[in-house]
Amino acid sequence: MSGVVVVGLFEGIEKAAGAGNALRALPLAEDRITTLSSVPLPDRSVSRDTRPIRFPRVTLIGWFAGALAGIALALGTYLLYPLITGGKAIVSVPPTLIITYEVAMLGALIGTLVAGFREMGLMRFRTKVIHDPRIHEGKILLCASVEPGDQARRAIEAMREAGGTEVRTEEGEL
Amino acid sequence: MNGASSQGGGNHLARTDQGGLYRELSRSNLPATKRWYAVVGLLLLVTLWGVGCFVYMMKVGMGVTGLNRPVMWGALIASFVFWIGLSHSGTLISAILRITNATWRAPILRGAEAMTAFALLVGGLFPLIHIGRNWRFYYMLPYPNSRQLWPNLRSPLMWDAVAINTYLLGSLTFLYFGMIPDLAIARDHSTGWRKKFYTVLALGFRGSHNEWRRYHVASTIFAILIIPVAVSVHSIVGWDFAMAKVPGWHSTIFAPYFVTGAIFSGLAGVVLVMAALRKVYRLERVLTVVQFENLGKLLCTMSLLWGYFYFAEFLTVWYNRNPEEWEVYRSYGGHFLPLWLSMVVCNFVIPFPLLCMRRVRRSIPALCFVSFLVVVGMYAERFLIVVTSLARRNDPFIWHNYFPTWVEFSILAGALAMFLLLYTVFAKLFPIMAVSDIQERLFQATDRVEGGTTVESLARPEASGEGEHG
Repeated sequence: MSGVVVVGLFEGIEKAAGAGNALRALPLAEDRITTLSSVPLPDRSVSRDTRPIRFPRVTLIGWFAGALAGIALALGTYLLYPLITGGKAIVSVPPTLIITYEVAMLGALIGTLVAGFREMGLMRFRTKVIHDPRIHEGKILLCASVEPGDQARRAIEAMREAGGTEVRTEEGEL
Repeated sequence: MNGASSQGGGNHLARTDQGGLYRELSRSNLPATKRWYAVVGLLLLVTLWGVGCFVYMMKVGMGVTGLNRPVMWGALIASFVFWIGLSHSGTLISAILRITNATWRAPILRGAEAMTAFALLVGGLFPLIHIGRNWRFYYMLPYPNSRQLWPNLRSPLMWDAVAINTYLLGSLTFLYFGMIPDLAIARDHSTGWRKKFYTVLALGFRGSHNEWRRYHVASTIFAILIIPVAVSVHSIVGWDFAMAKVPGWHSTIFAPYFVTGAIFSGLAGVVLVMAALRKVYRLERVLTVVQFENLGKLLCTMSLLWGYFYFAEFLTVWYNRNPEEWEVYRSYGGHFLPLWLSMVVCNFVIPFPLLCMRRVRRSIPALCFVSFLVVVGMYAERFLIVVTSLARRNDPFIWHNYFPTWVEFSILAGALAMFLLLYTVFAKLFPIMAVSDIQERLFQATDRVEGGTTVESLARPEASGEGEHG
């Protein structure tokens, strides 16, 4: 989301929730309202997360990719250096299972990390994003992505009426 | 706690000055004092001494150790098993507590996870130190060397290399991911080079609603993934021994026995680390008796489990009287008696009855004493497993009692100093307390009047559909 963002600081969750309701009544779509806070707020308490969380699928993909890599590693090394160990077959199932399992878990962990970062929208170092360090003093920053002009003016009024302080417009991404 | 209002009206965080809470929890990040430099300098010196002894061993050869036929695995391999075991509980406990949403977990998460990472780093060095001709360590990597030899993945030692690397990467990931919100808090409270440092590491985390929701889902997935990895790692360490036809090693019980022992020693390590952090950084208000009592309960359970496994293993050998195995057990009453007694007394005889007493569990010095005993007892156990079985194998004519030399003791001391050094530097640079988890715990807590008393009540957001996702 880019464009004009109306932000306001709120002292408590009740005030922020009131402002959220007022913004929705403007009307403003759910996905244009969000909060910045020092602790996770329950979904729907102030804003609602409308985007589905998809990265657990990448965990699964990472697991299968890791499993394939593990099988390839195990089978490849057996065949590249076919040394009989303890009278076992060159291609032995139990060691293959162990190596496959370990590499599969590693794939799942890496998949979760990379996809998690991506879906959380991290590592946007060059993009101007909305932020206010005062959330670490216990305040909630309510943000609404609005059209410049009338909608922005009405959003500012709604936030002020709900008890928001330092209500202002900022440019940046949510 | 006073002052600043916060998210919500009646919750405990609302009554907390969050800036003050952060300052309290981040005392370890204050500019280094002369005392800190002195401690780091001393640890660095001991570490360098250990490294020097390792270089000496590399130059002169393995003959400077006490290793001799048939005991070709000694204190270095016992230390490897011990450190990998010690690493076990940090991430594992943190993951289990996260999944079960244990409300007392927040203050111990970071310290325990860091313990895992550094114990693994230290433990993982021991096989490399032990192998002899150390410059050829890369033979273990899946990379064809000059003779076109590939690593033999049918060897349990290679399973170990793969599993430990997976666990190390997983633990570091788990530690780092859990730290991101705290790095963001540190970024917003810092100036100068620290601000730049935390800005890069926090990756732009701001605390938006979407970020928090995904962060929680990812944390849960990490926790779910890391538990089976942790179990597999110590199972494989157990299989390093159990796969060999060596009396005293070749046992089906070894994998679960090793996992139990690892969690046991790891818990003791967590207690000691937490008590040290509490004392050094004056975290008495956060790391309360509740955390120590609960860790004490877990330690008590693990002591009982360890005793059960050991008895089950002993009983089958005692009844069976298989001569090869029985000779190993008989040696416990001879040359290895002090070690055997240390193991049984420090792991079960003293800890179990003491930990059954609430008074002991609630006394931090007493719990530290018990934990120290457990660490000693578990090292003795690792040493007995590795050394005794080799010392009494094959032909009685070559039986040989092993004792480490000064070179091995120096390397062990260097490893301990290295662990403490890594931990001390980590605590100076990174948030050693999980600030955001502690804040979240306060946010979920409210006071509820029940008759004539006020009790703490905890909200569970996921109970009202918070956990839904597509």
